[in-house]
Amino acid sequence: MSFSLQYKVRIVTAASLFDGHDAAINIMRRIMQAKGAEVIHLGHNRSAQEIVEAAIQEDAQGIAVTSYQGGHIEFFKYMYDLLKERGCGHIKIFGGGGGTILPHEIEELHTYGISRIYSPDDGRRMGLDGMIEDVLQKCDFDTTAGSDYQKLTEGLSTQAWRNIAQLITLAERGHSIALNTRSGAPVLGITGTGGAGKSSVTDEIVRRFLYHFPDKTVAVISVDPSKKKTGGALLGDRIRMNSIFNPRAYMRSLATRESDRALSKHVREAIEICKAAGFDFIILESAGVGQSDTSILDFCHVSLYVMTPEYGAASQLEKINMLDFADAIAINKFDKAGALDAYHDVCKQYKRNHQLFNVENNQLPVIGTIASKFNDAGINRLFEVLLHAIQKKTGAVFGQLKPAARGTDLTQAIIPPSRVRYLAEIAETIEQYDRWVEEQSDIARKLYQLKGTINIIENKLE
Amino acid sequence: MITEQLEKKYAELELQLHPECKKLLEQWEEKKKAYSGDTFAFTVRDKTIQLPFTYKSLSGTRIKKVYLPRYHDWGDILKWQLQENVPGEFPYTAGVFPLKREGEDPTRMFAGEGGPERTNKRFHYVSLDQPAHRLSTAFDSVTLYGEDPDYRPDIYGKIGNSGVSIATVDDAKKLYSGFDLCNPKTSVSMTINGPAPIILAFFMNAVIDQECEKYIRENGLEAEVEKRKAQIGDLPQYNGALPQGNNGLGLMLLGLSGSDVLPREIYEKIKASALSTVRGTVQADILKEDQAQNTCIFSTEFALKMMGDVQEYFIRHNVRNFYSVSISGYHIAEAGANPITQLAFTLANGFTYVEYYLSRGMKIDDFAPNLSFFFSNGMDPEYSVIGRVARRIWAKAMKYKYKGNERSQKLKYHIQTSGRSLHAQEIDFNDIRTTLQALYAIYDNCNSLHTNAYDEAITTPTEESVRRAMAIQLIINRELGTAKNENPNQGSFLIEELTDLVEEAVLMEFRRITERGGVLGAMERMYQRNKIQEESLYYEHLKHTGELPIVGVNTFLSKNGSPTVVPGEVIRSTTEEKEYQIAALNAFKKRHAAKSVATLARLQEVAVNNGNLFEELMETVKHCSLGQITHALYEVGGQYRRNM
Repeated sequence: MSFSLQYKVRIVTAASLFDGHDAAINIMRRIMQAKGAEVIHLGHNRSAQEIVEAAIQEDAQGIAVTSYQGGHIEFFKYMYDLLKERGCGHIKIFGGGGGTILPHEIEELHTYGISRIYSPDDGRRMGLDGMIEDVLQKCDFDTTAGSDYQKLTEGLSTQAWRNIAQLITLAERGHSIALNTRSGAPVLGITGTGGAGKSSVTDEIVRRFLYHFPDKTVAVISVDPSKKKTGGALLGDRIRMNSIFNPRAYMRSLATRESDRALSKHVREAIEICKAAGFDFIILESAGVGQSDTSILDFCHVSLYVMTPEYGAASQLEKINMLDFADAIAINKFDKAGALDAYHDVCKQYKRNHQLFNVENNQLPVIGTIASKFNDAGINRLFEVLLHAIQKKTGAVFGQLKPAARGTDLTQAIIPPSRVRYLAEIAETIEQYDRWVEEQSDIARKLYQLKGTINIIENKLE
Repeated sequence: MITEQLEKKYAELELQLHPECKKLLEQWEEKKKAYSGDTFAFTVRDKTIQLPFTYKSLSGTRIKKVYLPRYHDWGDILKWQLQENVPGEFPYTAGVFPLKREGEDPTRMFAGEGGPERTNKRFHYVSLDQPAHRLSTAFDSVTLYGEDPDYRPDIYGKIGNSGVSIATVDDAKKLYSGFDLCNPKTSVSMTINGPAPIILAFFMNAVIDQECEKYIRENGLEAEVEKRKAQIGDLPQYNGALPQGNNGLGLMLLGLSGSDVLPREIYEKIKASALSTVRGTVQADILKEDQAQNTCIFSTEFALKMMGDVQEYFIRHNVRNFYSVSISGYHIAEAGANPITQLAFTLANGFTYVEYYLSRGMKIDDFAPNLSFFFSNGMDPEYSVIGRVARRIWAKAMKYKYKGNERSQKLKYHIQTSGRSLHAQEIDFNDIRTTLQALYAIYDNCNSLHTNAYDEAITTPTEESVRRAMAIQLIINRELGTAKNENPNQGSFLIEELTDLVEEAVLMEFRRITERGGVLGAMERMYQRNKIQEESLYYEHLKHTGELPIVGVNTFLSKNGSPTVVPGEVIRSTTEEKEYQIAALNAFKKRHAAKSVATLARLQEVAVNNGNLFEELMETVKHCSLGQITHALYEVGGQYRRNM
């Protein structure tokens, strides 16, 4: 392969505001990953500010945005202005929108400072691979060039996102980080199996933290695996985050990079940097883990294990190491079949592991949650359990809890569990009808034939 | 004797024949007679309608609207009636009405650009001298995502582009002004999903206030209303002169509600009558949004709850002629699904709404008639039977699974020709594709049809291209001889085979979805999204290699290689329009500043107490803008969380 990159290229990808066309950007970001880039994918309908702030927090070299809904001139220029305003003019902007962006508009945007808008003709000439390679080559630079380590550390604060981001990048590149950690901010580690809904749980915890403690800040470090074969990574946790877009929140996605683990080698430094910046609370979210992984415990004060009711037989629970160590266990997707059985099994296992045979289930830190549900009562309880554990372990108290946010009661299932087979039932009904039609028309055919035969015979005899 | 034995066997067998089937066979001759005259009589909602049944060609050939099979074998006759039947009879394979509506082509006038005034002008332009006004509204992306127009550059650039900007109830009143929304020949369709309940509340208020306006004029109360308006001062106005055809109906109460000027009981009476009369469709299909189109703004469950609230409100207020949802496969197809997947996912979504509404205690016959469908027609063979299969599956399921009455069994659907099948090369050829797709649709007895303009692949359609697109429908309906007949597909071996195959494939997909926990369970696993994506890639691959020939795109290229056509100019909203929309919104907010906070708080209260949100929205929109309302609802219902 002739194509190679000198630096780790990180790109933020999205479809523009009020634009649901995400097919093209999804194809692009996959190719970027395949060519070794770390892609922070935000999905569709993202505002200029969201995209720009994500790029700064993630210390990305580039932003790639598709825009098919018009308003592209304003949109791209606005992103450019916002980057400049925040002293991040080094972040390059790429875009495309098929035929919706006219040639003279492309020119206008290039003149303004947008790195490159690709037209359908570019696509035909360069091919998809060619376009992506062009983007990545233009992004193959050192974001920290010209930044001074000393100055970066001196300027650290919860608002100095660029400093935080670049220091983490330096750490990832092997630069040694030595900081005066001012805050003893508690670190919550969130781990669990892939697809259990860790990001949604994280988002819901961040939401509640920001709601209940209006003067506190939070940093989220989220880890996703790098692909061994390509070195690329899909850093996909941000797309699930609705609450992170807040001046009091910082988020950085890390790829595991060449290590076969649930965490990056540089998690410790990333946490130290966030502490030094002065965040009140730090959340570390791991990549999906196997049953034996407990690596998160090395980095956090309090740990949360997120699982679903779908773990197989109860004996599987005996193998999960985190059930020994986690301060709280969330059985997410609690609306799934078998949730109550899972709850009982996990409680039983927890009791065995902790020799707590005389405790009621509801006294255990095992909680059924539905993070996909707005204002889920389970997550509300989980949040309180976590705060309690943090206080117990670190002494940290963030403040008084406000009355819980009120929300629409969505506990009633849209489709009652007993009706979940409705489509199969419809198929059966129709097939039954069709069989009946065949039977009946078969009878009618025989009757017709009999009638015909009788007529023929009778005519003949007469 | 042998005949005695035969007679005995006959009698035995006859006992096994279901009475219904016996009746169908006995009445066959009678049916044939009914379909042999020069006129045909049938009843709709207790009214007998007699329509001409034949058309005479220039050569003097008599073409009947419906032909029956020439079968003699009772088995064939019975099976035909049980699986096909004439249009208007179960299982409605050939159509849900005995005959097509006279004097109303199934043509919708599509518009949406700039501010409400510009779109209003366009609506009047396209419907001038048309006997029926079937308006179809496209909203700009700001509105589609439930936000207000704003100076923020990433919003500003999108105001009034590719659709009309509607932020308040006053915008809706202007948008449809001059069209009598309660006239049975007027029907309005609104392509909006995420914020659909709010836009629908805008629209319903516009309808009610039109009727209030009529009442005020009829009773000579204008002076009082003017006095009231003078007290408030600084009320919104229609920007610019009224276009030809707009008599100003709907503008008297701009800035006010009928409930501000009329006594309560009179207002309520007018409201009740307006709601039970108004005709139209709101898309409001949130399931396909999550599967394909991505204009979700609320958490899916909250969005579904609001859909249920709208339907419940429709039942309570006897909104009989308005479709509360247009269950859409169009966007699923546009995102790349093949026709079978389009049909299967869409019907599955439809049955999901049925199950949800039933679980909320609504009765099948109370809501099924408020459901409508919307499909895309492309070039694939399966598109020739999409309506037939949809109608047949729906009818069988409604009758035997849900025990719905005849009205509930009838699936009605709108067709739009495939936008995805239009290409940016040799754009003149696009009309040919559209014509063939329209022919599929008309032969398949669609209830409503939109034909795309040939230049849609590269730009916003112009008056010239839209006129050509309408001509496609008119030429088929008025000039094409075989289209005088209304069941041309019946009796075709190909069509019958395809119908059976597609029906079977759809049922198989139902089982696959069931294995994934039904539509919602499958959505959680991104099943629909992934399948649509796979099928899209397959199409692109075949198009790229040329295995799927596309004339003027990958084969039959012109001497210069059929290059992509770049539009010279694109219709965009003007700065003046954007500024006007923002100013109008700010004036609205200022006018209602005293009430909006409390109104939003009440809306949230209703949400928290699990009340009917649409009932409350009908009041909320009198004082609050779209953006104010969506943001208040996010706080109690949650925002959409994207998937990957």
